[in-house]
Amino acid sequence: MQEILEKLNRVRGVGGSLVLSPDGLPMVTALRQGSDEAGIAASLGNLLEQATRLCESLGIGKAKAAQVLAAQGGLVVLPAGPAYLAILMDPSANLALLQLEARPFADRLAQRLSL
Amino acid sequence: MESEFERLRKKVENYPSASAYNRLAELARLNQDDAEAERICQRCAKEFPRNGQAYVILAEIALAAGRKDDGLKHLHNAVERDTRSYAGHRLLADAYAADGNTGKALHHLRQILVFKPNDPTAVQKMEALSRAAGGAAAAPAMASSMRRSTPPPLGTATLTPGALATIPAKAAASPSTRTAAFTALCAEPGVRGAVVADNQGRVVVTHGLDGKADLLAALAAEITGAATATAKQLGQEQLASWLIEGERGQVLAFKRDQVLTLAVLADTGVRAALLELRARQALIDLGGT
Repeated sequence: MQEILEKLNRVRGVGGSLVLSPDGLPMVTALRQGSDEAGIAASLGNLLEQATRLCESLGIGKAKAAQVLAAQGGLVVLPAGPAYLAILMDPSANLALLQLEARPFADRLAQRLSL
Repeated sequence: MESEFERLRKKVENYPSASAYNRLAELARLNQDDAEAERICQRCAKEFPRNGQAYVILAEIALAAGRKDDGLKHLHNAVERDTRSYAGHRLLADAYAADGNTGKALHHLRQILVFKPNDPTAVQKMEALSRAAGGAAAAPAMASSMRRSTPPPLGTATLTPGALATIPAKAAASPSTRTAAFTALCAEPGVRGAVVADNQGRVVVTHGLDGKADLLAALAAEITGAATATAKQLGQEQLASWLIEGERGQVLAFKRDQVLTLAVLADTGVRAALLELRARQALIDLGGT
């Protein structure tokens, strides 16, 4: 799975990636050196929990994906089987293209995780 | 005419404004100098990108010259930049009606009713279009249902008590002006409703959420907090937006300043980029910076 994340990191606009459990624990990470992996995963776990609550409260089914965009980049979270794939975006990222290119990686991770 | 033109030209040079440019371009057209009018509009579009009227004038010139594709392109630019461009929507409706594209023509007439409820011209045209489409018997009913289904008139998107205190004082426009772009956002296809919330999760203005406004406002504020914390973890300040996609819908939220979050509940597959454009306009109108 590490290999998959490292390949994903070579996609233009990707600044790092990690796989985390729904409760915010990092499973596999490929982040830049010095990144606070546990802190990022915990923040994402909190965000996913809120997202799940939001979707349930509004009756729009299970939360499938999330995006956070900031002035200097952002992140995209996609489901990967029982876990989530979080992709950190550089400011140069093309969001639409990145989502298209990231989907097969999420599918491959889901396959590995369900084995 | 010439002296008025020169006076306006000097004014535009010294104190450029969108309205002065528009007037100058119209005078150039009256002088039958369409090339000059086009130059003026193009310059205006560069200096005032949100001025839809410049694109309407460009469209009129293109349509008069038989350049229909260019005309339509300019008209789409006009309504994209200014969702309340009456002339833009009307000309688009006319163009689509002439092409027999009743659906698109009705769409633009409905957009007019969003910011100009019960506009007689738009209503008449809608009735005529539906009659021409073969629904003669249903025409009056359709027009009246359009009037009903149109989001509430300007200013009737619910501005909650105390909301005015949340909005910065510089937003001194009337409530109707403040909520028009918000109402237009809610009229976009696929949008189920929207709410503007403050940092405490209190509703500032809402539309179409049928009792879920408070819930969405509260949860949107929570998620904005969580998203801001996550962005900070990644070394990124200034959260701009977030999106949560569910199986049967999605919530898109846009943050313009430190005070307001605009959350939109929409169908899956809705055009997020278009909604963002509308949402930013609504936030500006509501006093965001």
